[in-house]
Amino acid sequence: MGPSLLILGVFVLWPIVRSLWYSLHDWTVGAAEQPWAGLGNYTKLLGDEQFRRALANTLIITAASTAVLVAVGLGLALALTSENVVTRVIRSAFFFPTVISLTTVGMVWRFLLDPDIGLVGGVTNALGLGAVNWLQSTALALPTVIFVNVWKNAGFVMIVLVAGLKAIPGEYYEAAALDGARRAQLLRYVTLPALRPTLLFVTFIVTIQSLQLFDLVYVMTGGGPLFHTDTLVTKLYRDGFVNYRTGYAAATSWVLFIVVVLVSALQLRIFRYNDAD
Amino acid sequence: MPTDSRLTRRSPAAAVLKWVYVGVGLVVALVPIVWMVAGSFRTEQDLFGHPAGLIPHQWTLHGYEGVWDQLPFLRLLGNSVLFAGITTALTVLFDSMCAYALARLNFRGRDVAFWLVLVTLMVPFQVTLIPVFVELFHLGWLNTYQGLIVPRATSAFGIFLFRQFFVSIPRELDEAARIDGAGHFRIYWRGILPLAKPAIATVALLNFTNLWNDLLWPLVVSSSPDMQTLPAGLALFGGQHVTDHAVLLAGAVISLLPIAVAFFLAQRYFVAGISTSGLK
Amino acid sequence: MNNKRVLAALAASAAGLLLSACGGGGGDAGSGPVSLTVWTGFTGGDRPGYEQIVKDFTAAHPDIKVTMTVQPWDTIQQKLPSAWLTGQGPDIAAPSSDPNAIAQYVKTNSVLALTATGAGDDKINTDQFAPALVKEFTYNDKLYAVPANYATLSLYYNKKLFAAAGIGKPPATVAELQQDAAKLTTGGRYGLVLADNNTIQMWPVLQWLSGGDIVGADNCSVLSTPAGVASLQPWVDLVKNRKISPVGLTGAEADSIFSAGKAAMEINGPWAAPGYKSAGIDLGIATVPAGASGQPVTLGSTAPLAVSAKTKHPAQAQQFLAYWTSRTAQLKFSLSTGFPPLRTDLAGDAQLKADPTVSVFAGQVPNAKLYLPQVPNATQVDTDAYVPLIQKITRDGDVAGGTAAAAKQIDELTGCGK
Repeated sequence: MGPSLLILGVFVLWPIVRSLWYSLHDWTVGAAEQPWAGLGNYTKLLGDEQFRRALANTLIITAASTAVLVAVGLGLALALTSENVVTRVIRSAFFFPTVISLTTVGMVWRFLLDPDIGLVGGVTNALGLGAVNWLQSTALALPTVIFVNVWKNAGFVMIVLVAGLKAIPGEYYEAAALDGARRAQLLRYVTLPALRPTLLFVTFIVTIQSLQLFDLVYVMTGGGPLFHTDTLVTKLYRDGFVNYRTGYAAATSWVLFIVVVLVSALQLRIFRYNDAD
Repeated sequence: MPTDSRLTRRSPAAAVLKWVYVGVGLVVALVPIVWMVAGSFRTEQDLFGHPAGLIPHQWTLHGYEGVWDQLPFLRLLGNSVLFAGITTALTVLFDSMCAYALARLNFRGRDVAFWLVLVTLMVPFQVTLIPVFVELFHLGWLNTYQGLIVPRATSAFGIFLFRQFFVSIPRELDEAARIDGAGHFRIYWRGILPLAKPAIATVALLNFTNLWNDLLWPLVVSSSPDMQTLPAGLALFGGQHVTDHAVLLAGAVISLLPIAVAFFLAQRYFVAGISTSGLK
Repeated sequence: MNNKRVLAALAASAAGLLLSACGGGGGDAGSGPVSLTVWTGFTGGDRPGYEQIVKDFTAAHPDIKVTMTVQPWDTIQQKLPSAWLTGQGPDIAAPSSDPNAIAQYVKTNSVLALTATGAGDDKINTDQFAPALVKEFTYNDKLYAVPANYATLSLYYNKKLFAAAGIGKPPATVAELQQDAAKLTTGGRYGLVLADNNTIQMWPVLQWLSGGDIVGADNCSVLSTPAGVASLQPWVDLVKNRKISPVGLTGAEADSIFSAGKAAMEINGPWAAPGYKSAGIDLGIATVPAGASGQPVTLGSTAPLAVSAKTKHPAQAQQFLAYWTSRTAQLKFSLSTGFPPLRTDLAGDAQLKADPTVSVFAGQVPNAKLYLPQVPNATQVDTDAYVPLIQKITRDGDVAGGTAAAAKQIDELTGCGK
């Protein structure tokens, strides 16, 4: 266990602490003096409209992505639990998008959604809907980003849930069936409760990823149009690396961190609480 | 036991619904990938002229030629393989060891350690970028292979996954081994690890994928052209006023090929079963 | 028990960090060739031109070896500050495609004040540079960078589409430009394709043509003045109502559309010409039409090339900059890339005049203005105020409201009136 903790400690945890230090200053990389800002950066954030919007967007993306991913993933998992070649191939097919890099996914979908060259545009045109500019519409851009996020991760969620489903002992079902339970009831009273730990694992991973969404948004919209798809990380990237305000960006990252911790704690609460009965 | 070997009958309507659902999903999942591969063979006129088309009307290899001609391709490939390969092997080793400790050993700071590991998942790389760079500088590890590999030699995700897996393996196995006189390391190495193939395959694949696709990290550690990885090379094709879709797509396809290969090799293990994990 | 081990490990590494902290850095006793590293982000069609400069310099100076690494601009922006801070960065770099970015590095004392100026081939011939360029890179009376290139924007037009619409020649006045753009927006094509983000800016050109501007000499915003609003309104109407261009395009996307023959006109720089030609466009390049005042005006764009303050070879680095901007190198560069020369003493050069592409762009140099020149916090003005403004008003048409809000923001950022 030593090596892992050492590496994580030195190269991740300590830098996280350092960034807290930056956030308490008007930190600029390379400056001779770093003026102390105390909580100034944080209070500025609260007044920053871009920040508030980014926070809202991030939470919306996360909540929507997680909900849809669990629904879609569960549906697919339930449909694909059998063990035969066809099912295995289909499961692999669904899992494939997960291993494609986020920048490639963003780039390819960006092309696909382009009203001039994209397949989606071609399809909607054929359907008589005209070419919709998905990523440039202030109304449609965010749902589109959510859709692509779901597209990429659905396979992963499905695979994990399949594993979880397979681990449910058959006796549970037999017992319930003996009591005359129908499918829907089996699902609700046997499957879902037994799946709870797996669901927790999956939502945990998915929410953490969604809260930190960057590459996908950066490649597809750059946070636009008009900051409608700006996430906390695209905002802190812009502050830190385009506008060179490292301290301010660090403050955003700490707010993100707190949000992630809160959301994670919330999830654990929900899942463990139900577990108690 | 799969929910499918039903004791209650499924109505034909439900079965049809299920296959429609899966079918639609499959199309949505795969068509973009097909489009990407096909697109790497299409000319710009073709893309603009036939947006609804999937198959190239005008075939061209200029995308691939562009990538091949303009990049020191083999060296980039070699660097990527080196970086992703070695680091992945290390992560499998270190993550599983750490997970073993967290799952099996009882010691006072255990929960704290676990939470610290989780915390590292909660912060995006952009945040730690500058401090890590400065650290590497102080260690003298910039532009070195150890600087490239060591900080990434363990992954919280891997630790998390392995731990879930190990926790579900019955302790009787440990007991039996201990009776035979094995110490912790032995139990880990001989007993648990061989059972963990699905988990190893999953962690290896996902970590390899992340490392292979990682653009920023190798560039942070080194700007020397000798150490550049494939994503860094391919990123040069995009630019403020540069768009040649075939080249970009060709780059993406080329980058994806090794992953696809790794995927097909590994998928037997985890598609069939992160199963016995009984993820708790 | 393991807890203590963890703590010990952390303590050990902390100690290690402290010990090794900046103990390194032995001086190199420079005998033998000097090695210079250069970072730039020029990934486009002009890249071979820069590589040629490096090659020629190395060939001419056997005692100096120059290696240029090309990386995407974002990467450079992420790494350069820390790299230069720790002395690990390149000796020379183009920090950004945005000339105003150099201000940040000047503030943090990361770049060297260039002193090797003067006449002759070994010195940086600043008095031969276009004056706007020298001013752009001068802070506190010191020169901190040389222009890596200088481009003007011209009007590219698709001759075939013009002929099909019955327009005989490219527009010569801003009124004609507006008319032609509207007329050419037909049959699924766009009259004048405009990018508003991730691009060398086109909208400022439209504003200047129509008599407006973004900030005035005192760095206060003039967007919400009657002149400012009047310079935006007709264009917003054209985009929103007559649909002469899609909204929200990046530079690359706009180029793509023109390349594919789906747009009749685009305001772009010399880097685009080779791509358009190889895409088979029946290409015409014209000077940007005359503005409302009768004067032609266009945007000039440049990128800074600067030396690290911590370089071990300041003399040789400046020698390299001198070569880069020298007459020989620039002549060669212009001829191969189509960029206008950044030196005024090449303005009359016969070879350049004969080149069809260069001559158009070079002809515009006297009328070229820079975007937000020496405006404080220019980068933020661009990302947080101007680009969102354009994106907003081309969607909702509220020029008055949009400019008022943007003006306020800009004034805050530039410290107007202080």
